[in-house]
Amino acid sequence: MILFDFGYERAATAEEAVARLARLGDDARLLAGGTDLLPNMRAELAMPATLVSLEGIACEPPRALADGSIRIDALTRLADLERAPLIAERLPMLAAAARAVGSHQIREMGTIGGNLCQETRCLYLNQRHDYQFAPPCFKRGGECCYPFPRNKSDVCWSVHMSDVAPALIALDASLEILGAGGTRRAGIEDLFSGSGLRPLTLGPAELLRSVTVAPRPARWGWGFHKSTVRGGLEYGMSVCAVALRLEPDGRTCAEARIALGAVRERPLRSPKAESLLAGSVLDPARLTQAATAGAAEANPLPHHGFTKRHLSDNLKIYLRRTLEQALSRAREEEGAC
Amino acid sequence: MQSELKYVGKSVRRKDGPDKVTGRAVYTQDVRLPNTLVGRILRSPHPHARIVRIDTSRARALPGVKAVITVEDTKGIKHGFVETPRYPPDQEVLARGKVVHVGEEVAALAAVDALTAQRALDLIEVEYEVLPAVFDPEEAMRPGAPEIHPSHPKAPSGLANVGGTTATEWGDVERGFAESDYVREDRFDCQLRTHGYLEPHVTLAQWENGKLNVWTSSMGTFVKRAKLAKVLDLPQSSVRIHKTYVGGTFGGKIDLYSHEYCACHLSMLTGRPVQITASREEIFNAYRHSQPLTLEIKTGVKKDGTIVAQRIRAINNAGAFRGSGVVVIFLAWGFTMIPYRIPNLKYEGFSVYTNNTVRAPQRGHGAPKVRFAIESQMDMIAEALGIDPVEIRLRNARGPGEKLPNGDDTHRGNLSECIRVAAERSGLLAKFGRDRSQPPKGTIRRGIGIGVSAYMGGTLIYPNGSGVIVKMNDDGTAIVLTGAIDIGQGSETVIAQIVAEELGVTPDDVKIISSDTDTTPQDIGAWISGMTYVTGNAARQAAGNAREKLLQVAAEKLGVRADELVAADKVVSHRLNPELRMTYREVVASSIAKRRGDTIIGEGFWRTMRDEPAHPSLATTRGRWTENYAFSAQVAEVEVDIETGEARLVKAYTVHDCGFPINPALVKGQIDGQVSMALGHAFMEEVLVKDGYTLNPNWLEYRMPTIHEMAESEDADVITEQYRVGQPYRTKEVGEGLISGVLAAMGNAVYDATGVRLRSTPFSAERILEGLRDLEFQKRKKHKEVRA
Repeated sequence: MILFDFGYERAATAEEAVARLARLGDDARLLAGGTDLLPNMRAELAMPATLVSLEGIACEPPRALADGSIRIDALTRLADLERAPLIAERLPMLAAAARAVGSHQIREMGTIGGNLCQETRCLYLNQRHDYQFAPPCFKRGGECCYPFPRNKSDVCWSVHMSDVAPALIALDASLEILGAGGTRRAGIEDLFSGSGLRPLTLGPAELLRSVTVAPRPARWGWGFHKSTVRGGLEYGMSVCAVALRLEPDGRTCAEARIALGAVRERPLRSPKAESLLAGSVLDPARLTQAATAGAAEANPLPHHGFTKRHLSDNLKIYLRRTLEQALSRAREEEGAC
Repeated sequence: MQSELKYVGKSVRRKDGPDKVTGRAVYTQDVRLPNTLVGRILRSPHPHARIVRIDTSRARALPGVKAVITVEDTKGIKHGFVETPRYPPDQEVLARGKVVHVGEEVAALAAVDALTAQRALDLIEVEYEVLPAVFDPEEAMRPGAPEIHPSHPKAPSGLANVGGTTATEWGDVERGFAESDYVREDRFDCQLRTHGYLEPHVTLAQWENGKLNVWTSSMGTFVKRAKLAKVLDLPQSSVRIHKTYVGGTFGGKIDLYSHEYCACHLSMLTGRPVQITASREEIFNAYRHSQPLTLEIKTGVKKDGTIVAQRIRAINNAGAFRGSGVVVIFLAWGFTMIPYRIPNLKYEGFSVYTNNTVRAPQRGHGAPKVRFAIESQMDMIAEALGIDPVEIRLRNARGPGEKLPNGDDTHRGNLSECIRVAAERSGLLAKFGRDRSQPPKGTIRRGIGIGVSAYMGGTLIYPNGSGVIVKMNDDGTAIVLTGAIDIGQGSETVIAQIVAEELGVTPDDVKIISSDTDTTPQDIGAWISGMTYVTGNAARQAAGNAREKLLQVAAEKLGVRADELVAADKVVSHRLNPELRMTYREVVASSIAKRRGDTIIGEGFWRTMRDEPAHPSLATTRGRWTENYAFSAQVAEVEVDIETGEARLVKAYTVHDCGFPINPALVKGQIDGQVSMALGHAFMEEVLVKDGYTLNPNWLEYRMPTIHEMAESEDADVITEQYRVGQPYRTKEVGEGLISGVLAAMGNAVYDATGVRLRSTPFSAERILEGLRDLEFQKRKKHKEVRA
């Protein structure tokens, strides 16, 4: 139960939503699926004075643009993403990532935009503080950090848990952001600030409008894995999303994009691991070397009861396994051509 | 004889099934009364603090607030899970003077709506003086540790915070160890687990015309009535607990809870109904969890694996009040001595106060931890001696007709047979050690392991007995009045089957009125694994009593002897001349006409071991328990990814001696439910607590298994008892005894798959990886030494 009063408004268009946000200021929040925001309101981590509901805004189904890119409305429900034939055919990694989220019920409500714009999480943060952890932590505007008492006030090691973001980073997606002054475009990685206190770079009256993914090149393959304890109804222990493009020889890596989720305040790229792969012949030793480097440079934050050491171990193995998946898919695709 | 049974022994459809699957079932939260107020509890933000001052005036002044109470408004009557001369009631319904755990109830209020109640809570001012706190039981026991409560007067002197002890011994353990060929000592730990009932704690209380009507989610309405009446200082006849459907308990809804008292008291103050529903966060961070035990076990055996001596030290992290802590250290001894013969034993158990939330029983009440420890060590011993896990167990397992150290008898119970069948059905010995001796390609290793357990049914504790009334209707159908509460285990179905069988009607002819303290007879409640036996025998007797009356009336009417008649299909007929017959409708009419209006009511009563005066001593273990010991052997097959450490249960085999299964489908449901609960214990569940604060107070981060983790579960019952109409029968425990052997089996199977021996649960990927790394290190070290 949400135990405080708040206002509720509905916007009929995205532009109207932005205008309302601009008028209402910092005390307003956009409400899409609500699967992140409403539990946070229950925990009083978010206490907006007004919710601006996006429910009345028509959502355009995913479609292919003239250049072969695929545009996905930010209000697209994760379940619709999972089910859309266009996504299954052209962006199976995104379908897999959407399917990895929460539960059926969560995916029927949660949107891709909301998933990207979710709050960071921490065991201490995501619960009511009426008698446990009553003095607020830094992120709640207070003066302490419960899990890391030595942290300074500008550091919050809460973790961005999106399953979808790493997949979109590996896919090099771009974003359409609507603000009071009109639309701007940004790369998906630019959405994340890297700060646990304010994880997003969106301006005060901005709204994520759509996500666009450019067409896949030839000899390209993907790998995705979300590690959990029980396989579902769970945030990730870690998320690995990788995309590999091979040279025409089918052995040498032309380009690698590696994204890791649920390890830091933002979804991460793994530049060292990527550079170990690009231009190299992808034998098992190379994949292991890259995975080891990726796990090391991720420097995961301990979260949800998992130790840093275990998260590193986990990343090392699953990054290698997802690289293997991607390589095998890239080769299959070559075979099919 | 068995073939003549029509309903008993058959998988009759659940009585509550249609209501539950169609959503018609009324749970406590669904009960609506006009003008109901919302009750809320103010809880302690500190694990240990002196209450300097409570000021409720601002809360009282808030419009919409109808009543606020603190301990000063109560009569100060204490209650306890155990209430005996040695362990008198120790807990007040609201904190007095100091708080001893985070979430402890400090004040309560009733308001017109949830928002007002929340605002009012924020207006109650409590000034605390924070005291040093202690969370680890071994630290809490040390002299000089912060004192939560004084140690029990009979606890060993010098130890702090000891709430109670259990000590017993027989034989001469030291001599036993000296005579042993092999002795080893190990220490086992476990995580904090919770029950995971889906329906939260919820109570609705309505004080009206000097009568307190209460709807509350519980495991036994008569226990609730007794405790509520006591702390409210009301006669039991002024308190009525109504029946509602219960959405799961697993041990967590037995004792009196503060919110139940507060809802009642607030209703009495306001004259309006008051409902208090605990949030899931409250349940996780302020209510009761299971009992984490640390066990130190020293065992001496002969070369052939025969146990010679065992010394066990159990330490229970009992939380901030006595709770069931002193029971679990007693039971831990029981779970040690039942399955295997131990000629020399020394046992000591300590229940230690810590500044954690109070503990409750949880399905198995200590057995999972005890059996995990002992069965793990059995495998270690077997390996050291070079014998197999089946042989060492058969060497020590109890068979029929054995006397237990407490004077009880195993009767026809047969653990050896369970072990033999489990090993055979699972192909254990053919599979055991396979992946360790010939590792397959890839990273998946399979392992198999066995564990055994035993559990007692219908043990002697409050209120010891169950009564049942069977009322005949004019048309020959029957109404059964029973205090038994159906918490999902199927008691109403089982009672209907028994009554139908004994009375010669169909289960559909039997309507059950249950667990209403005003209209039904007293019952033991669904919490000591005895309902099918105790209440079931009472139902059998009540139905038999009604049947005898039917036969007697028919005999008089037909002019024959009653023993020449049989009752079946709502007809009384002559054994030799079936033409000579009367329908039940005719018999009932005749009884009313000829027997001064006797409408035919049967009554039955039952109690475990009717000649035993009292329950056994928690301190010394002396005294008998029960005549029903159920034995079981369980085998688990697991798969472990040796690269990631991730492990899962693939298949479980359960072979159990439940006496006689009244409803095999319900037995199967209990088995599968326990296998899934055990795999949660083994691989995923843990309440994370830091300094008394709960870190994962929700379903998201307290990871119970979902449907996807369910493993294949195969079972077989070793039937050792029979059911005969008109005869007392012996059913045994099946609702909580089967959670333990399989847990131990999973630990042994992880070892079999990987060579990693885990001495604490859960078997997380991290622990398994650490173990594998350690093995690798040892191997390298050995290799180096050999080369050097």
